[in-house]
Amino acid sequence: MFRKTIVASVVAASLLASQVMAESISGVVKDENGQPVAGAEVSVVGENQRVMTDAEGRFTVINLLVGKAELHIEARRFGHRNFRFALPEQGLSDVSLQLLSSTIEVIDITASPFHASATESSLPVSVLAGDALKMRQAATLGDTLKNEVGVHSNFYGGVASSPIIRGLDGPRVLITQNGLDAGDASRIGPDHSVAAETSTATQIEVLRGPATLFYGSGAIGGVVNIVDERIPTDNTTRAEWLLQGTSVNDEKLASGSLVTGVDNIAVYIDGFWRDNNDYRIPGFAEAEPDADAVKGRVDNTAATAKGFTLGGSYLLDNGFIGMSYGRLNREYGIPGHAHGGHEDEHTDHADHAADEHSEEEGVYADLAQNRYQLLSELSFSSGFIRAVNTKLAYTDYQHSEIEEGAIGTTFKNRSQEARVEILHRPYQDWRGGLSLHYKFSDFEAIGAEAFTPPSETQMLALSLLEERHFGPWLLQVGARVERVNIDATDVLLPDIGAHEHDADEHDYDHGTEFIRVFDVSQRFTPYSLSAGAVWDFTEGYNVGLSVSRSQRAPSAAELLSFGPHIGTAAYEVGALFALDDNKFVLNRQPIELEIANNLDITLRKFSGNTGFVFNAFYNQIDNYYYQQNTGLFAEAGHDHGAAEEHGDEHEDELPVYLFSAADVTLHGFEAEYHWQINDPFKLTLQGDYIRARLQNGGDLPRTPPIRLAAELAYERDALSADVRATRYFKQDRVSELEQATAGYTLVDASISYRFDVGSQQLTAYLKGQNLTDQDARVHTSFLKDLTPLPGRSLALGLRGSF
Amino acid sequence: MLQTKLSLAAILVSVSLLSGCGDSTTTIIEKDPIAVDGDHDDHVHDEVNTAGRLVISAIDSDFVQVLALPEKTELDTFLVTATPSAIYASGDHRFAAVVQRNEDVVQFIDGGLWQEDHVDHMDDFQAEPRLMPFQLSQVRPTHFSSAEGQLAVFFDGNAATGAAAGVAVLTDADIGEDRSDYPQLSLTTHQHGAAQPRGEFLLSSLRDANSSTTLPDKVGLYHQHSDHFDLEETFAVTCPNIHGSAQNHDFVAFGCTDGVLLIAQSGDTFTASKLENTADFSGSMRIGTLAGDHAAEHFVGIAGSAVFAIHAEDAEMELLDWQPGAASAIWGYGFAEQGEKFVLLDNTGALTIFNYHGHAHSDGATEKAAFEFSAKLPLTTANLANLPAGARFQLAISAADDKVYVTDPITKQLHTVDLHDAEVLSTKQLSFTPHRLTWLGIANPSADQHNH
Repeated sequence: MFRKTIVASVVAASLLASQVMAESISGVVKDENGQPVAGAEVSVVGENQRVMTDAEGRFTVINLLVGKAELHIEARRFGHRNFRFALPEQGLSDVSLQLLSSTIEVIDITASPFHASATESSLPVSVLAGDALKMRQAATLGDTLKNEVGVHSNFYGGVASSPIIRGLDGPRVLITQNGLDAGDASRIGPDHSVAAETSTATQIEVLRGPATLFYGSGAIGGVVNIVDERIPTDNTTRAEWLLQGTSVNDEKLASGSLVTGVDNIAVYIDGFWRDNNDYRIPGFAEAEPDADAVKGRVDNTAATAKGFTLGGSYLLDNGFIGMSYGRLNREYGIPGHAHGGHEDEHTDHADHAADEHSEEEGVYADLAQNRYQLLSELSFSSGFIRAVNTKLAYTDYQHSEIEEGAIGTTFKNRSQEARVEILHRPYQDWRGGLSLHYKFSDFEAIGAEAFTPPSETQMLALSLLEERHFGPWLLQVGARVERVNIDATDVLLPDIGAHEHDADEHDYDHGTEFIRVFDVSQRFTPYSLSAGAVWDFTEGYNVGLSVSRSQRAPSAAELLSFGPHIGTAAYEVGALFALDDNKFVLNRQPIELEIANNLDITLRKFSGNTGFVFNAFYNQIDNYYYQQNTGLFAEAGHDHGAAEEHGDEHEDELPVYLFSAADVTLHGFEAEYHWQINDPFKLTLQGDYIRARLQNGGDLPRTPPIRLAAELAYERDALSADVRATRYFKQDRVSELEQATAGYTLVDASISYRFDVGSQQLTAYLKGQNLTDQDARVHTSFLKDLTPLPGRSLALGLRGSF
Repeated sequence: MLQTKLSLAAILVSVSLLSGCGDSTTTIIEKDPIAVDGDHDDHVHDEVNTAGRLVISAIDSDFVQVLALPEKTELDTFLVTATPSAIYASGDHRFAAVVQRNEDVVQFIDGGLWQEDHVDHMDDFQAEPRLMPFQLSQVRPTHFSSAEGQLAVFFDGNAATGAAAGVAVLTDADIGEDRSDYPQLSLTTHQHGAAQPRGEFLLSSLRDANSSTTLPDKVGLYHQHSDHFDLEETFAVTCPNIHGSAQNHDFVAFGCTDGVLLIAQSGDTFTASKLENTADFSGSMRIGTLAGDHAAEHFVGIAGSAVFAIHAEDAEMELLDWQPGAASAIWGYGFAEQGEKFVLLDNTGALTIFNYHGHAHSDGATEKAAFEFSAKLPLTTANLANLPAGARFQLAISAADDKVYVTDPITKQLHTVDLHDAEVLSTKQLSFTPHRLTWLGIANPSADQHNH
């Protein structure tokens, strides 16, 4: 059906190209009280034109098509608004457009080809940007986003964390950087850090719910897109910098970015450096501490990271083309691996001579990433093709896990990605375009914990996205089909002597054994369909509705793994294998695609002194790949911390988990409410809830607990401050072998003071986290029994911009 | 054999699975399996390293590097005060003494592998290498000899400044705990001497202050009293121009121009005798280097390029044919593989391996030739003329297994040699010109191991 439309469109293109374009609209943008709104952005929907209102709120857009026109107006503290016009030949002048003030911070996301923001799209999205981002940026991505509604962190002892969106993470949540895959190893292990830096980002966008339409298999649970200006789209000189010190882990952070240029050239540079020691906690690290455990710190959570990015672009009249290179290095302790250790062993490698207490050292990871990007956006003033957006990336990622000074395991991921979006001019009032998307990843893990064999994954996809207004309704539809090939030439199936612990026989045969080797080639053809609508049923309110059916090809790790994975403390076996009488054999059943049928309803109020977004979802996922506990144990081939406990013969064994497909249901809601009490004070309440269960009974592990948060913010003149309390409820809906966690309340507060020095705007701030020094265990963490959240923390910072 | 059969059979299973909707295809081809020895130890890499570690220095830089065996991966690099002139292992092979002779400094590197005695059993421990705070700073530390957990450091003193010679005897605990109350001997004059530790006793060379040479000619027996040694006896049997010393279970030997001074210990009684040079000695030939092993009945004496097997108890000295070929000097030597082998590294870069059959208390050992020529391994093909000034091929001997490690300063390589199979197992390319090296680790690994 969609294909027919496209064919028709292409045919029509030549006919439309000659259309006259000479009309203009001029007018003024005002608020509810009739006061002009300066600095509002007026853009022509479906075209490339974008102007700002002047001090009197006036604007003029020109070169419009005769007939109909639609303008999109956005301004800070106002809800975005679309206005449609029947355009006479002589154009329109002196139109008055009214914006409604909003308590909801509305920022457009760049991660979707559709125009989308927290108040306007059928899919729930949120954006963390500006001062809020600067205040929440943390060393790891999950911790940066953990206060966003619907997003939790899988907190891995502060050294790594990934965002969990509606209870999903890992291979189901895609992490992108400027819309292109982060290209790291963070999707296959919670101890693998996300290779992207938040302190130099301009905004971080979260798409909750299936986004396979835009991003393919890896985005069935959502997308987190980290946006920066590494490829600048203009060359107005501006810079930002940030200095911060944090008490709980002695973190020191310095970061900065600069955009400048001359003529048609824009250049960008950024850099950051972070360094922290082990963090402090109020109690014991372990949930069940040993007799000789020491209170007060979580060992082996020190990290040091640095990176820089260089970018440049050539600015054209109708767009830009630019390239960038980014380098990221990070060295961090892996607390789950610890053999002991002391606070600054990793941060002080240069100072060996003075280091007299390094008799204990834990496992640490040493990560390096080189990332090249080419981005281009070109718009065309005539013809059927309105714009062509191109994104290319080459990423060379590697991290080594180093134990006792020797490299234990090295993970390498070399990936290439290309995405071309071709957007057409409105046709029959339909706006949208085609997207061609290619991704290749050469993944390799070498060493003791190489639980996944080397593999190559190739993906090629074509998608079509269209939207159209029908009166107060906006309809958004899309379809995507993709081809995924996973090739692995050396998939190993060893006889691991997996055994049950209640059986006494430990003397399984140790004669000559054979590791079976397979050349595996897997092809999937997943597709996604989505339809959404936004209904502006009354002024200042709308309802968003989204229905989608998305398919996901299981990842190479989910299919091919066979080995001990210390990051998850599990012996992981991929879905390609099956268990036959305590022995692993080839799975003779077909490998199914994961299929998510998702329904999302969003009700919003976005104007006036109060605003809210209430979102409910129901997601039924068939063939959901998860790690099923087999009840067996296998040797880790590796000991981690337990070696000193004499007498426990099982200390070096891990439970064996087999990736199996089962039908699951996830449902829940997210709600946020904003109330501008009076000029300086604003109250925000938010909450989320998720239930994730197997249809045949049982719960999925690490499901986020119910969470409620309240934040009171003050902002007047140079001073702003906020205090926030977040209640995480207990979570006792647990999977087999999983521990329930108690509820806890975190109290955070911050105060900022803005002042100018010359042309620089400076902000000095003090922020406190976990002010009541709660001993909190994060249910969504793999290390909940080993690493509680950091204790009370104060951070002092100064940031500036010009 | 079984593997070959399987190979021939080449089981190729091709599985093609199509799921209901035709959107997923799996193709699996089974390849030849990999045979693994079922008795292999799955835990090799995670237990305390039994292969040990190497400490190695560069010829012209003031650092030492610690390498983890068997892979020879770099664990850490430490800056020391000056370019090391020599590196020796401590009595229990935990620490490396990094000698900077002309700077009058000995620094110590903890190799990070050690044992603790838990009375009924030994526990093995492993930690990261580190530079120790413990240092020695007496004048001209030169000869180092270790035995039974002790390391005797002989300080030559300095004729020019009038600094007298001395000896310090260290245990691994002294170094590890940064103690200062280890026993020391202060001699009255400078000398290029030697000392051998024997528990609470110490045998040290003695020089007449009026002697025309810096080489001593007598040996004294000293007894430890807390942090110093008292002279108990000066042996009447002289040993002109003492150079080179060694010990085994019952004897201590010193090299003299006229033969070898042998001092037998029986309890607290020490008896000296002289084993005269044999007819094989000619001109100015003398034994200037001695090697011994606790469990070997023989000493090996080296006189230039001539090598003698010395049986102390039988008072016999026999020339060994080590087939020197073009070699004119011996740069590395020692008993290896816990006394099962004796190796010589010569100045052509060849390693000569003898099987040794002369262990104390081994029945019928005397029936066979004590030293049986086993193999000669030329370890370099480089042009010897390209040997950098001051550089030598160097040897480190594992106290734990049958490996020795040889540096080639011409090609900047480090070889692992398996003495049992007489082959080079692996070679590491170094980024610097290697100078000195020593092996550290646990000589007799226990079953109880601890990682740190």
